[in-house]
Amino acid sequence: MFGLKMLSGRRLHAAAPELCDRLIRGEIGRRDFLQTMSWLGVSAASASVFASAVVGDALFPTAARAQEAPKRGGSLRFVCQIQEMTDPAAVSWIEASVVFRNTLEYLTLVDADNVSHPYLAESWTPSDDLKTWDFKLRSGVKWSNGDDFTAEDVAYTIKRWLAPESKSSNKTSFAAVTQVEIIGPLAIRLHLDRAILAIPEMLYAYNCPILHRKFDDMGADWPKNPIGTGPYELAEFAIGQKATFRRRAGYWGTEPYLDEIRFIDMGTSSAAHLAALSAGQVDILYRIGVSDLDLVKRLPNVQLLTGKAAQTIVMRMQVDQKPFDDIRVRKAVLLAADNQQMLELGYRGEGTVAADYHVAQVQPEYFPLPPVKRDIAQAKALLKEAGHPNGVDVTLMVGNTQGTWEQNTAQVLQQNCAEAGIRINLNVVPSTEYWPVWNKVPFGLTYWAHRPLAVQTLDLAYRSGAAWNETHLADKAFDAALDKAMAIVDVKQRSQAMEAVERILQDQAIMVQPFWSNKFTAISSKVRDYQQHPSDYFNLFKTWLA
Amino acid sequence: MRRRMLPRLPVLFGALIVLLWVLCAVLAPWLAPFDPLHSLQPLVPPLSDAGAGRMFWLGTDMLGRDILSRLIFGARAVIVWAGFATATAYVIGIAGGLVAGFYRGHADRLLSFLANVVLSFPVLVLYILIITKVGASGFNIVLAVTFASAPAIFRIVRALALDLRERDFVLAAISQGETPLRIMVLDMLPNAAGPLIVDACLRLGYTTITIGVLGFLGLGLPPPTPDWGGMVNEGRPLAFAFPHLILFPCIAISSLMLGLSLLADGLRDGEQRPLKSTGTNLP
Amino acid sequence: MKTPILARLVEIAGTMLAVSFIVYLVLEANSGDVAVKVLGPFSTEDQRALWMHQNGYDAPFLWRYLEWLARFAVGDWGMSTHYRVPVWQLLPERLGRTAMLAGATLVVMIPVSFSLGILAGMAKGSVADRIISFFCVATTSIPEFASSVFLAAIFVFWLGVLPGASSMTSGFAIRELVLPTLVLALYSAGYLARITRASMVEVMEAPYIRAAMMRGVPPARLVLGHALRNALVAPVTVIMLQIPWLLSGVIVVEVFFAYRGFGSLLYEAGLNSDIALIEACAMISVAVVLATQFLSDLIYAWLNPRLNRKTARADAAGIPSETPAAGAAP
Repeated sequence: MFGLKMLSGRRLHAAAPELCDRLIRGEIGRRDFLQTMSWLGVSAASASVFASAVVGDALFPTAARAQEAPKRGGSLRFVCQIQEMTDPAAVSWIEASVVFRNTLEYLTLVDADNVSHPYLAESWTPSDDLKTWDFKLRSGVKWSNGDDFTAEDVAYTIKRWLAPESKSSNKTSFAAVTQVEIIGPLAIRLHLDRAILAIPEMLYAYNCPILHRKFDDMGADWPKNPIGTGPYELAEFAIGQKATFRRRAGYWGTEPYLDEIRFIDMGTSSAAHLAALSAGQVDILYRIGVSDLDLVKRLPNVQLLTGKAAQTIVMRMQVDQKPFDDIRVRKAVLLAADNQQMLELGYRGEGTVAADYHVAQVQPEYFPLPPVKRDIAQAKALLKEAGHPNGVDVTLMVGNTQGTWEQNTAQVLQQNCAEAGIRINLNVVPSTEYWPVWNKVPFGLTYWAHRPLAVQTLDLAYRSGAAWNETHLADKAFDAALDKAMAIVDVKQRSQAMEAVERILQDQAIMVQPFWSNKFTAISSKVRDYQQHPSDYFNLFKTWLA
Repeated sequence: MRRRMLPRLPVLFGALIVLLWVLCAVLAPWLAPFDPLHSLQPLVPPLSDAGAGRMFWLGTDMLGRDILSRLIFGARAVIVWAGFATATAYVIGIAGGLVAGFYRGHADRLLSFLANVVLSFPVLVLYILIITKVGASGFNIVLAVTFASAPAIFRIVRALALDLRERDFVLAAISQGETPLRIMVLDMLPNAAGPLIVDACLRLGYTTITIGVLGFLGLGLPPPTPDWGGMVNEGRPLAFAFPHLILFPCIAISSLMLGLSLLADGLRDGEQRPLKSTGTNLP
Repeated sequence: MKTPILARLVEIAGTMLAVSFIVYLVLEANSGDVAVKVLGPFSTEDQRALWMHQNGYDAPFLWRYLEWLARFAVGDWGMSTHYRVPVWQLLPERLGRTAMLAGATLVVMIPVSFSLGILAGMAKGSVADRIISFFCVATTSIPEFASSVFLAAIFVFWLGVLPGASSMTSGFAIRELVLPTLVLALYSAGYLARITRASMVEVMEAPYIRAAMMRGVPPARLVLGHALRNALVAPVTVIMLQIPWLLSGVIVVEVFFAYRGFGSLLYEAGLNSDIALIEACAMISVAVVLATQFLSDLIYAWLNPRLNRKTARADAAGIPSETPAAGAAP
């Protein structure tokens, strides 16, 4: 049908034809179409051919490159924090996954355009109700210790996430999984208690690498016993210093180009990172800050990469803490805030202005809501009504976890709010002191990383009693609206259902979410075929050095 | 000592710089062309027209605030916090030093030992211990500086007090039955004032730099307080593209430090009695 | 001669003991805090209680301190919670790196400071003296964080002649030492030159030099043959006292140039609340301070046998504490 093929070669998923119709009618875009098709197990190539026939060529073509034949060999130096990664499923930092990703692999691979591709899983087939998912695993994959990769490894890994004593955040995100069933030597079935569409994408989360079935028996310390299925093996590892990977023989997939990848921890000073890049001491920086842009643009042998992502900061208020337990105070803060000015001064205009409901334009289910209009008079009136005729004093905690632009943005909000009589006292602490209390302070500025789907973030951050619910919002109507949206396959319908979700968030006035910040990184001009990833899941298997 | 005009030049220069900054601090609201906390145009270079016949003499920072105005108001923050921190350190150091020097014996041994213990911490180690324990704020910086400097002041005062304790006028006062407190404060302290003022000038300068370093390490005064160290820290990432962001605050810190050092040198030259035991008897 | 040294050693031991108590009190008095820092913010109450029980944190504070002290004394310095290795594994390399940086700084700084100081002190009040003195005050007034930025701007980004990060990732590279050394030397050379000058001035005014001058001894011989030995007594002790500053006062420079030394280790330990590591670093810094003070006393006594020991002690020990540049320079 329509030339679309399932990766598994089985019958096309029931929801696929409807998606095709919507693409033809122009109700959904090419990107949303490809992403959803990939979740349903439709081959990305066939979906892409279909989409090209209907709406023309890719909207995000790969950047034009000179006709160069990739060169093999060489050692690439990558500046990145080297963190503790004893248990890859329990790490809470993406940097750690960028390091172990060279040895440990995932069931699926989500590319920079959010399309899911086969990886250790060759194909997947969801049931029509999206509650049973069959994964066919790749054959001929061997662990670096010579063992065969089998369904047992996958079942072991997933069960380990869900075990009662699990320390992995996957315990929450895969809570809907009720049973992991081995249905063949290379086939596995997941049983869910509710419909989830994005399972293939979720399996590429940074802490979802497939571990060897004997991981716990072998000491449960990955850097000490770094077995994996990937093309590289860990040669050296020291937290806070370095991690070196060397190419190994016997990889199942396409041989990568680089012989060696050296991750180097250069501390927290971005000036040192750029100086090292400029002097040719390193090749790729994990990321650079918005304040580094001007310098990078002046460096002759450096390429600047920019990308849009659904990453943001929220200056969120806890609904059960004084004075924010009064919604009128929270509303006054939102009415006083000037999101556009925060973007321009705090982030130098390098992003997209947001409207306080934490769903981004780049996310498929985005429904555009009008922003809260700035109205100082009304903010003052609300404050007066709430019993603060002379204004109110509040303390905003800022950890500068992503750089000083957090504190700059907060200073703009401080100016904005001062106009309405809300006197914000900034409490700036080092980031290592912010994270231990990020969900405890009444008023704090928290950075939220990109997630391909808005519902993933909302489920984690705003559902009643959710693990990372830092605002303490407990709204039954919101939970119900979110449940409804999460079960809808159709992008257009889902987006419509999101209207209610977004509106509740905005009306509850739990956060000033001023803008979506662009991502930047700087790499040496010698580096070829390195791509940014909205989630920072950088893959170096196609990268080579000129 | 020869009293020619020429050698006094550096001292006058130093005094002038210090006076200038003190005037800035006192008259900040009248001197500053703009509100130091208000955003105008971001990252304007120095000597730009601000419209309405006004100028951004030193440019603006990333949030569009006038740097000259922030420097002028920053003099307030620096002089208030550094001054406050130095003053509390002096109160404690002087009190301890006078007690140790007057009573000698066990009191002296105990206080000297405590001072030695604190002094054996490298100062930055001490700051990191304190600030990571209690968090960064103006008050905590005062606390940290007091804790770190008071023992050094204690040593100077103690050395002076031990010497003064043997002088005739003190012995006479004791024999006349004056209270120890009276003797310490009214008889001994004024005679120790000279070297202490010299040391205070230097210490005020170092406290200024210390607040700057703490700002640099992200442990300084909370924004948007326009303190010079914090301005350097905030502007540092952009400094390679917009040097004016940190050039002027650095000049401010360095000039105040320079002024205080030159002033201290001059005062020390004027000091009649060289202080053998303090090691600070530099020309 | 033996007894004062012994007494001094006892005093040092006492100070170390007091310091260890303070460090332990500040960092580990609140055992609940320690559990949170070791297990992370997402640990549950039960986990924390279990950890505290397993690690003996439910014992009275003094008992815990004594246990910790005993362990510390025999070299069991605990695990670093950030680096996940025993603390003693981290220290030798970091200390070595910082010692290298300190060594390089001293190699640059000493000849420069001595020459400038002697030149200025030989002829007090001359034009050379006044220029040098002003220059010394001026360089000491520029904080390291400022000179780091400006030197990096010039040599790394503008001229492009020096590497900007000094992590030594591909092994030892002398080029990577240049900028940090330059910043440190620039900041501290002025102070040492001033001490040298002061000492030189004092010696030049001493009767025996004046007498030699009257006899018509040529200035070069006068300085090299007669004045120098005595004039360098104070500066040499000051150098000893700057060593602790070069060990842990270099935090700013090490962080800025991503140099993996003791200073940046201490800074990272502080930022990550890595208690065992902070304890070890603090104890080492203090031990170095006390050791250099002790050595500086000995050197002073050796170079200057005319003075009786008591004055020597007061003089030498007085210098770091009361002149902020050595002790309190940030």
